[in-house]
Amino acid sequence: MKTVAANGKRKAGGKRWHVAVIVVLLIYLFLPIVGTLLFSLAKEWQDEIFPNSYTLEWYAQLLADMRFYEAIGRTVLVSVLTVAITLTIMIPVIFVLHVYFPNGEKLLQISIMLPFAFPPVVSAIGLIKIYSSGPLAITGTVWILIAVYFVLIQPFIYQSVRNSLNTINAIDLVEAAEVLGAGKMTAFRKVVLPNILPGTLVASLLSFSMIFGEFVMSRMLVGGDYETIQMFLYNQMKTSGQSASAVVITYFLLILLLSGLVLKLGSWKPRGYKKAALQEEE
Amino acid sequence: MSFVQVEHVMKSYGEVPVLKDISFSVEEGEFLTLLGPSGCGKSTLLRAIAGLNDIDSGKMFIGGRDITSLSPKDRQVGMVFQSYALFPNMSVFDNIAFGLKMGKMKKAEYTPLVEQMIEIIDLKGKENYYPNQLSGGQQQRVALGRSLVKRPKVLLLDEPLSALDAKIRRSLRNEIRQLQRKLNMTTIFVTHDQEEALTVSDRIIVMNNGEIEQQGTSEEIYTLPGTEFVARFIGSYNVWSRPEMEQAGFADIPSGDLFAIRPEVISIVPQAAVAAHDAGYMYTIGYMKHYAILGNVVRYHVDIGGLDASVDVLNDSGLLHLRENEAVRLAIPMEKCQPLKKLG
Repeated sequence: MKTVAANGKRKAGGKRWHVAVIVVLLIYLFLPIVGTLLFSLAKEWQDEIFPNSYTLEWYAQLLADMRFYEAIGRTVLVSVLTVAITLTIMIPVIFVLHVYFPNGEKLLQISIMLPFAFPPVVSAIGLIKIYSSGPLAITGTVWILIAVYFVLIQPFIYQSVRNSLNTINAIDLVEAAEVLGAGKMTAFRKVVLPNILPGTLVASLLSFSMIFGEFVMSRMLVGGDYETIQMFLYNQMKTSGQSASAVVITYFLLILLLSGLVLKLGSWKPRGYKKAALQEEE
Repeated sequence: MSFVQVEHVMKSYGEVPVLKDISFSVEEGEFLTLLGPSGCGKSTLLRAIAGLNDIDSGKMFIGGRDITSLSPKDRQVGMVFQSYALFPNMSVFDNIAFGLKMGKMKKAEYTPLVEQMIEIIDLKGKENYYPNQLSGGQQQRVALGRSLVKRPKVLLLDEPLSALDAKIRRSLRNEIRQLQRKLNMTTIFVTHDQEEALTVSDRIIVMNNGEIEQQGTSEEIYTLPGTEFVARFIGSYNVWSRPEMEQAGFADIPSGDLFAIRPEVISIVPQAAVAAHDAGYMYTIGYMKHYAILGNVVRYHVDIGGLDASVDVLNDSGLLHLRENEAVRLAIPMEKCQPLKKLG
């Protein structure tokens, strides 16, 4: 009896400890955001824990600023374009390697890990050197950004496409389709593509968010020539901390919205999948 | 020329040969089984016929047409995979209609064919279900229907039952056989399960190490194994060499160096009983070691001069009271002593 009671006590203690850890972690994660939020709403905030008075002035200013909308527009454009281009190129490549040249997949895996090996600053300097002059002088244009982001998001796209191909047993599906009279292209279009798209969609949205928040490359390679939302934020910080905070909060809400979308789409399944009841007759 | 003709097919992966000069033929409407352990090349051979694996040399004909260099879609074969390989984004109806659509058939033309096929595979009412809503057996029936609806010249079945549990496996294999008879469908069936092969096939080809070990009807393969491999693979044969049998005390051993003796042809005679020496039988004395009840038969293991003899007795003969180490007499009809070709 005694031991049981002791166990119960220890369990309760353990639970309290778990809760404490989680609370500390949440405070650590949310304090900066709460601080930023307060700062963006503060009229005056000098020597108190909380602001003396509140205002929406910074948001009004921000939402009236055409530059802000243009920056968001540019960022959305570069993100969507990059993801679209990456998908269009990578899905067929990964599919062909996976199904017809499995040995080549290892090479692709290695090449895809490379971007992780180079710090962004290092690769940015290399890229500037190569693309500032010569036949392909694209530094300072949106094209170099798209090209660089292509490399950055490749690993995510690759992983999700490959996982999807494995999950649906793509090789068997293609073979079955071929024996049934479909050409290789038709098999890919009718059988493989529709089944890997849901999985790929999530990775695409993650990539989109990643590009949305990318700063180093856009600062170093393009700078003010193509002001993305991150560049805009950077410039705001130089003028006013409080309006920068308003940008951060607005930006945070946008990302939150996007993440919600990712989560929702992550559980999305093609028609018919939702009827969970498995019809067992045998 | 036979309906399906495979001539001198060779295939190796790098240095490793997987098909060594394979030739065989299948008659129209015949149910042929390729039987062998995993890695024997049977699946590679089937996939080569489907056009999914290329071969290094040799020729293949279906209905007199050389298909050796045709792509899979032009071979007019149907194939069922172990993994079902149903298209998850399509309903039962669309899965079955897929091949017909690929054949440029109009909706009005293929709809009655697909509906008819759904009836044949007994999935009426489930047309709009998706593969993941069906059980394994139902999925494999859809895969079967999907292949058959195109009326292929040859149906290729690559271990279609291996992913299913025992009860469904048995009922589905009978369904496949009935369907095959009804449609008079030339079929090549790949399996590693000898019981499956023996029950459904018109003819069996036993493969080992990329070679054909033996071919014949179920009856021939089971009762007259030609090689040690077949004897060991097909059942629980006792495979004994001549010196081993001499040591076990048998006299009048027929000519040959290696023999396969089925457990059910050996009879156990209690030592106490005085048995007459019938001509045409070999006798020896051994000791009961242990037994296992397999269901309708009891398998006794009898030690005869250091050799373990498996003896199957129908589970109604009242021999169960035989105790361990009890001396028994074994009688083997000489004509059931099947000489084998090579020492493995």
